[in-house]
Amino acid sequence: MLIQQLVNGLTLGAVYTLLALSFSLVMGILGILNLAIAELFMIGGYLGFTLITAGFPLPVAVLGGMLGAAAIAIAIEKIGYQPLRDAPLVTPMLSTLGFSIILQNVATNIWGSDPAQLPDEYFGKQYALGPINIGEMQLIVLVATVVLVAVVAYIVQKTPMGRALRAVAENREVARILGVSADRLTMLAFILSGSLAGVAGVLIALHYGTITPYLGVEIGLKAIAVMVIGGTRQIWGALVAGPLIGIAEVLTVAYGGSQVRDFVVYGFMILILLLRPQGLLGGARSDQGQRV
Amino acid sequence: MLTIKGLEVRYGAITAVRGVDLEIRKGEIVALLGANGAGKSTIARSIAGLLPFQGEIAFEGERLTPGTAEKNLRRGIALVPEGRGILARMTVHENLLMGIYTRSDKSAAMADVDKMLERFPILGKRRDGLASLLSGGEQQMLAIGRALLSKPKLLLLDEPSLGLAPLMTASLFSMIAQFRDEGLTVLLVEQKARQTLKIVDRAYLLETGRVVTSGSAEALINDPTLSEAFLGGTH
Ligand SMILES: Nc1ncnc2c1ncn2[C@@H]1O[C@H](COP(=O)(O)OP(=O)(O)O)[C@@H](O)[C@H]1O
Ligand SMILES: [Mg+2]
Repeated sequence: MLIQQLVNGLTLGAVYTLLALSFSLVMGILGILNLAIAELFMIGGYLGFTLITAGFPLPVAVLGGMLGAAAIAIAIEKIGYQPLRDAPLVTPMLSTLGFSIILQNVATNIWGSDPAQLPDEYFGKQYALGPINIGEMQLIVLVATVVLVAVVAYIVQKTPMGRALRAVAENREVARILGVSADRLTMLAFILSGSLAGVAGVLIALHYGTITPYLGVEIGLKAIAVMVIGGTRQIWGALVAGPLIGIAEVLTVAYGGSQVRDFVVYGFMILILLLRPQGLLGGARSDQGQRV
Repeated sequence: MLTIKGLEVRYGAITAVRGVDLEIRKGEIVALLGANGAGKSTIARSIAGLLPFQGEIAFEGERLTPGTAEKNLRRGIALVPEGRGILARMTVHENLLMGIYTRSDKSAAMADVDKMLERFPILGKRRDGLASLLSGGEQQMLAIGRALLSKPKLLLLDEPSLGLAPLMTASLFSMIAQFRDEGLTVLLVEQKARQTLKIVDRAYLLETGRVVTSGSAEALINDPTLSEAFLGGTH
């Protein structure tokens, strides 16, 4: 059942890719790890879950998760980042850590700490492609990831806003003398990144059919590993590293047992930090956010 | 067009500029001369809105607030910074597109980008290559072209000849001299006083943050203060 495992790993990896992109949008521009992204992902998942069980269609659930997460991202930027932007890099990072713990607490209070389950009738369809079984939601996750990565790549590579984002990331002062408001673009990066995390959360929650307030910690930290492994400078890094880690993880569990599941991912991350800190595909060192 | 009165700029405990008065009239090319560390870049960067300052900088009769670089560009002040400020991870074309970031007449602006690629054929040839792969002179062309694309009224050039070969410097200076015909006003920051004085209308000589001499280019080229302090003896 190797092929089946590969497909499962690919689905998981797709979500890692989305979330890694979400981290690297902020990381690449500000040089800080917005740790709260993991919890935006979790809350996006809950929002999507809630909307689906309330009878709304999937697109509404995705939009709801996206907008909810983006709104919280705006609050984090305004309260947790903006006032600290001239402080040493570790300061805003600690403030996002504070935010993530608060968000987890809020989620526990609203939705409880027991796993929420999605009734079986949602997205339960299975398609058989030869020897592989692909779930309806699995397909949706894969297609949505490809579409979202393409949209993000288009925005970053081809639009004036994306160029301005890259300009701020490369040299904040040069961006400013070209008329780019670094503050506005910073906010935009937070919004884009939050939206992406929210969508990823809805997708994975519906795919698993279950969610807990700890989803963010579990998957978010792995997405950071994926970002490190792929490098932050190019979108393609996350696109390659996500599936790689997803598949590696699924295969480890299948053949090595779940007690070693995280060894491979984080071991690989440490290896990359030691041997190739700029990430597999090159680019800026993701452990050294430059304050540009 | 630009009036500076009692400009004072500090970096922590260091006072880099102390009480500078300076005036640039519309259509002039004015030089800001001085040795390394005299405070030339600090003045240019203050005008561009990159630094906090004390004193007064007024552009077209309006007082500028310190540190508002994005706004200053929209008012018509463009800076080509020392070291050129090329966005190395972008292509030549993308760098030029950043030059029209603030323009609202998008289709005319896109046409201007294409014209810029024709005006500097080297850039046209390297359109889709990374800007970091250009030579120093080509990067300077790119930086100036990019600044011109914002359609500035006042162009601030901070040591554009730095690191260029003599031939390249000569062609750069003759290009700057032609900006006058395009109705552009220029503040040219330079250390190469002799060459600079040949193309500018007036100049200010700066020493440790103060203006020590100023006047028309013809007067200054024979000024003993300038020759001794700066040109390294007269001929
Ligand atoms: N970012 C800075 N921090 C501290 N001191 C600075 C900084 N930039 C310039 N200076 C100091 O201010 C003075 C003027 O520098 P600058 O304006 O760059 O001179 P110039 O452009 O004429 O070479 C120098 O003494 C320099 O060391
Ligand atoms: Mg200088």
